Amino acid sequence: MNKPTFFELVQLNKSFGGLKAVNQLTFAVKEKEIFSIIGPNGAGKSTIFNCINGLYNPEQGQIKFKGEDLVGKRPDQIAKAGIARTFQNLELFAHMTTLDNILLGRHNSMKASILATVGLSFKRSKAAQEELAHRRKVEEIIDFLELESARDQFVSNLPYGKQKLVELGRALALEPDLLLLDEPAAGLTQEERNDMIFWIRDIRDLLGITVVLIEHNMQMVQNISDRILAINFGTQITVGTPEEVLNHPEVIKAYLGENIPSTH
Amino acid sequence: MLGQLIISSLVVGSIYALMALAMSITYKASEVPNFSQGEMAMLSTYVTFVLLSSFGLSFYPAILLTIGFAFLLGLILEFFFLRRAKNPTPLNLIVITIGFQLMLYGIAGWKWGSEQRQINLPFSESKVIVQNDVFALTELNLATLVIAFIVLLVIYLLIQKTKLGLAMKACQQNVNASKMNGISANRIMAISFGISSIVGAIAGVLVAPLLTLDPSMMWDPLLKGFAAAVLGGMKSLHGVVIGGLLLGLVENLFGFYISIEFKSVVAFAIIVLVLYFKPSGLFDKHYVRKV
Amino acid sequence: MRNLKTTYFEDLQLFKDGMHLFWSAALIIALFTLPFFVKTYYLTILNLMAVNVIVALGLNLLVGNTGQISLGHAGFVAIGAYTTVLLLKLGVPFLFAFVAAGLVSALFGILLGIPSLKLEGPYLAIATLAFGLAVTTLIGRMDFLGGRMGMNVPKLQVGWTGLKYDHSLYYIILSVTILAVIAIRNILRSRIGRAFQAIRDSDIAAAAIGIHLTRYKLYSFGLSALFAGAAGSLWALYLGFINPTLFSFILSINFLVIIVLGGLGSITGSIMGAVVLTYLNLQLENVVDIPLLGAALFKFSEVFMTTTGISNVSWVLTGFILILVVLYEPLGLYGLWIRTKIYWKRWPF
Repeated sequence: MNKPTFFELVQLNKSFGGLKAVNQLTFAVKEKEIFSIIGPNGAGKSTIFNCINGLYNPEQGQIKFKGEDLVGKRPDQIAKAGIARTFQNLELFAHMTTLDNILLGRHNSMKASILATVGLSFKRSKAAQEELAHRRKVEEIIDFLELESARDQFVSNLPYGKQKLVELGRALALEPDLLLLDEPAAGLTQEERNDMIFWIRDIRDLLGITVVLIEHNMQMVQNISDRILAINFGTQITVGTPEEVLNHPEVIKAYLGENIPSTH
Repeated sequence: MLGQLIISSLVVGSIYALMALAMSITYKASEVPNFSQGEMAMLSTYVTFVLLSSFGLSFYPAILLTIGFAFLLGLILEFFFLRRAKNPTPLNLIVITIGFQLMLYGIAGWKWGSEQRQINLPFSESKVIVQNDVFALTELNLATLVIAFIVLLVIYLLIQKTKLGLAMKACQQNVNASKMNGISANRIMAISFGISSIVGAIAGVLVAPLLTLDPSMMWDPLLKGFAAAVLGGMKSLHGVVIGGLLLGLVENLFGFYISIEFKSVVAFAIIVLVLYFKPSGLFDKHYVRKV
Repeated sequence: MRNLKTTYFEDLQLFKDGMHLFWSAALIIALFTLPFFVKTYYLTILNLMAVNVIVALGLNLLVGNTGQISLGHAGFVAIGAYTTVLLLKLGVPFLFAFVAAGLVSALFGILLGIPSLKLEGPYLAIATLAFGLAVTTLIGRMDFLGGRMGMNVPKLQVGWTGLKYDHSLYYIILSVTILAVIAIRNILRSRIGRAFQAIRDSDIAAAAIGIHLTRYKLYSFGLSALFAGAAGSLWALYLGFINPTLFSFILSINFLVIIVLGGLGSITGSIMGAVVLTYLNLQLENVVDIPLLGAALFKFSEVFMTTTGISNVSWVLTGFILILVVLYEPLGLYGLWIRTKIYWKRWPF
């Protein structure tokens, strides 16, 4: 029996007024692979994520996740389908603590109704029991990302590197099947970037989550990607293994311009 | 009858348009709807009254001084209060304007009591200028329409044709870039509030003969002006003016043909309906935040 | 030494530690035994404060925690009040009338929430303002609701408790207030409350983690209206007579002042704001009677202002306090309280 492709974009088109941000884009992602999307600034990478996520509605094309088309669904429906994401410029809940931010990732797994939550302060209540169970799950994530020291701090007081981890933790708390990371290395120090490489690998190896990331940092891209998609002006240049893609002349031209001796 | 209705709609609508314009000028500059707009106008109108009655000035000098007072009042609000907010979120700034509104209302009531007074404009309410089969136009009506139109024109020219207007537009679009280009954003903000206060004051003086002068006279015009601004799209100057005129029309037509008691409520209801389909008003663009 | 937490449940429980429990219990006992020590007049002041607390808790949930705005909350209070009076007049027992008041109000809250879903800032403000206006205007036109003249509120049948009527009323209002505080506190600490705050902080991220924005915004409006309606029900009992002019735009502004003064998003803030503002309003009703200050104000009024208009000082003062709070302590009285606590903790450094 033919198992449907885990995740694929089919002929996706998205325009803003006269500008075609995504143009007939088609690619597929295999389960449990780490798939990177690279391209110069303005190539349309974040737009792709925003379309997948449900923030933008593409004019044409399909976004198929485990066989189901996601186009036209609301962002919360897409989250419930098993896709989580981080944002390029961080969209943390600024007035809440790290713990609360990550706990919010558990929102959908929790079932307590408003009426039930009125009894939260009573240990035997369903609401309290559920809250404690999910708190334990969140603590596992905090442990995994080494955020213990930041647990009760307001996220706006945290250094940038930790804030990125909180957003990652929040996305992991959804227990997604597919994780979209929008420039996970941006703004990090070299050390933090090395840690991030390990974490992304662990997310795939230990948690079994498929990862698609947008990235500019070629060191990270080379290191962790199974396959890379290079795009420019909203369309595909090429897709393949890191060696294939990073030495592709068109890719080099997109980043560096013409008349540059090839690195090969 | 319809002709007469339209005239009165336009007159009332012009007042709403002026209030809406005043609202919009400050909203465009600061992203804060100024709830004290009405009270500022009311206080300025009292100043005119005092100048006319106690000091015996004639009309045009009194108006000039009032304009100065109004401008100052706007500056005070911006400079001493809004600018000093430690955490200038929209809600906090709105609350400051509400606080200012309460203060001005209290000061007016304290100083002049709640008895209604008459202000004597050189435009008579009873002297009819134009009379034909369709409508009758009093001197006051004509003056209101003309003055309102002049104010709108002046503001339009100010924004579109002067350096100040250009600076105001620049500050609205990108404060930091404006500052880096040598524009004192603080000064522009203060001036915006000053100008808006003047527009409001003129509306107040025009409305006083119709409503009589007492501390709460501007509550309804403020509300309607705000609603008109929202209807037209708060950041679009021509939008809010059209909003004001439309509101005046809808309100008066409904009030005459269907029910005078419900006319305010229906006017608001229609605005809410419009907002449902156009969340940023009729003429404004709806911006979605980019992530 | 400060107690360190050892279980996750300690984050959820009502009382942080033994001291907290002790003082809270002491306060509650004091409030319950008050009728035996003080004149009825003071009980009525507490009743008024309690009603304001309940409205403030609901409004703060909507404005402070979910980041919305409401300039028409008096409309929900009105709906609660009128529903209760109507049902009482029909002979319905108070408990049912009370619950109905809350639910009907909540329903209207959800109805108001629907057009508000796409609106923000001044646009939302106008929509809620329109609602408040519509409610009072429509009530004023309906004769079976007493029209503009208003309606008398039937007295409760509490003779069977053996207590004086005023005391019974006080206990009812006090109990409801305490329950309201506990309920709001638990809701805010749960996934529901977190979702509300997520919507406030970043609705894009909230949706991205699976929060159905529409549903939760409606929940917030509904809950907020529920509290206002319940408070309206109690307020009607307190007043004995209701008419549409009570539920004006001024009242809505009053509620907004309470939560800003007290501290947005904070339960303690709602309580502090309600208590302080109710007290302030009462004091300012008779400005001249305030010792020292009253006489000075009177003298000042004779010279520069009018003495007939002296009651307007309350407006000036309220407005001024509002501005001061926003300028210097945006977290309100709650912020001041926290700052004071921290100062004394660190003293003498």
